[in-house]
Amino acid sequence: MKRILILVALLMAVGLVVAEVPGTVAGQWTQGTLGVILQPAPAAAGEGATIKIGALPMYTAELADGEGKELVMGYCSICHSVTYITMQPPLANWKPTMDKMMKTYGGEKFIPAEAAEKILAYLQAYYTPQTRKQ
Amino acid sequence: MEKSINRRLLLKLLGAGGALATLRPSLAQTSSQAETPLPSFTGPGPNPYWNGVHPYAVYPQKLPLLRMTDRPVQLETPRHYFRTAFTPNEAFYVRYHLDEIPNEIDLSKWRLKLEGNFERPLELSLEDLLTQFKPVSIAAVNQCSGNSRSRFQPRVSGGQWGNGAMGNALWTGVRLKDLLDAAGVKPGTVQIQFEGLDRGKGPENLGSGRFIKSLDLNDPVLEETILAYAMNGEPLPMLNGFPVRLVVPGKFATYWLKHVTWIRALTEEDKNFWMATAYKVPDTPNGSTTPEDVAAGKVKTVPIGHFNMPVRSFIIDPDGSSPLVVGLPVKVRGVAFSGHGKVVKVEVSTDDGNTWRTALLGPDYGKYSFRTFEFTWRPSAPGKYVIAVRATDEKGNTQPDTPVWNPGGYLWNKIERQEVVVLAAK
Repeated sequence: MKRILILVALLMAVGLVVAEVPGTVAGQWTQGTLGVILQPAPAAAGEGATIKIGALPMYTAELADGEGKELVMGYCSICHSVTYITMQPPLANWKPTMDKMMKTYGGEKFIPAEAAEKILAYLQAYYTPQTRKQ
Repeated sequence: MEKSINRRLLLKLLGAGGALATLRPSLAQTSSQAETPLPSFTGPGPNPYWNGVHPYAVYPQKLPLLRMTDRPVQLETPRHYFRTAFTPNEAFYVRYHLDEIPNEIDLSKWRLKLEGNFERPLELSLEDLLTQFKPVSIAAVNQCSGNSRSRFQPRVSGGQWGNGAMGNALWTGVRLKDLLDAAGVKPGTVQIQFEGLDRGKGPENLGSGRFIKSLDLNDPVLEETILAYAMNGEPLPMLNGFPVRLVVPGKFATYWLKHVTWIRALTEEDKNFWMATAYKVPDTPNGSTTPEDVAAGKVKTVPIGHFNMPVRSFIIDPDGSSPLVVGLPVKVRGVAFSGHGKVVKVEVSTDDGNTWRTALLGPDYGKYSFRTFEFTWRPSAPGKYVIAVRATDEKGNTQPDTPVWNPGGYLWNKIERQEVVVLAAK
């Protein structure tokens, strides 16, 4: 009995878990930000009949560096976030999408034709099945 | 340092450690959380995952959901929230078309307006809706038309949803018919138009300025349509349409307008973008066509409202994130629904669809609700297995094992599969 206790004390001294079971692996931990989301502050409730939920979080996708990136960031994101570009399966031809944005949705109202051409060139240069990096 | 060396030495002495310490990858902390994030998925093959591949994000009144886009907000419900027949409000998916959406509503000023071809145009407060009309409740599935779009081959553009652009809730509110009767629909009305508070930066008269949908006055679904002010017995979350949203049982969510504030009786068919151009599907029995026919301009299309949601079923557990054990029972669980009527049968296959066995169905909450199912499986040999599930509704519709294809990425209901690995117990 005394001998076992000494053995246990000895093992503990070298930092071992006494009850190692063959075939099991103890808890392992990874470091990093996986699964970590900042806790939002509680919204302050107002008075009367106004129901409010506070601001909605925004996020800007990282676009490929290249000529025309700023135009995309500026003009496309008037109506929607550029995540719409990075989310898509790579489009072989962005022209129909560009036309839809300009004509069907009225992008012409905001985007000069010259800028639209550069935006299309940027999308073709970085977001087709052949040119998309990630 | 010395500690780890000693530990390794001892494991080696025990004869079990060497391989374990070096070959064994570290354990995932929970069944659904791996040690590395999923890289973003953009194809060109179909998305192999149950959900779309997007980061988790926290929004007001919401649990962490999969964020597809932030502006307009599009959030997908993670798989595990479908273990129950009713989807929690705080996990319910979100899909907007436009980016100017309400964060704040003053109910002392907000009014539901019935205007257009009515005998008595009305303006109703939320209190009027709560007190002057009989409340009704219906359990119904709300599913985005593009749910599972990331499965399409060849891929189609649009929101790359996995299976989580859907949810089931007990909706409580006012019968649309009661409102229409109160206002008195005048003869000559052909459609009832709905508009909510969502707005966009584009010109007013285009799809980027306003989101508007209409239902035919003679569509039988109007009898069952309600204007819901409660969802699972609670106020609607803002992102799901507070204070009231339309519930159109059996139809895709594009008709379930959020924040409904205007109801109009139209004397002419609605030709706005969201009716005439968007949400159109090929006029074929299952809405399917081919890229070649589309390119050749051969495809005639109709609004997706002409279709009820096709029958579908989903495997929620097991999700393949951890191996199963030979000889130990595992519960194959999930949900099924159909826009055509009650789900009467769900079958499970553990051999990739070669043989099928009937699953046990959960409670019947009505023909438009999710129905849970459960099947206990005891794998008898180690190996890789493909579990499949298919549902049949009371009209005899069964899920096909062939995929649909259309340019919008709509109406997907192919039999779902889940690969699992079974490991030895000795």
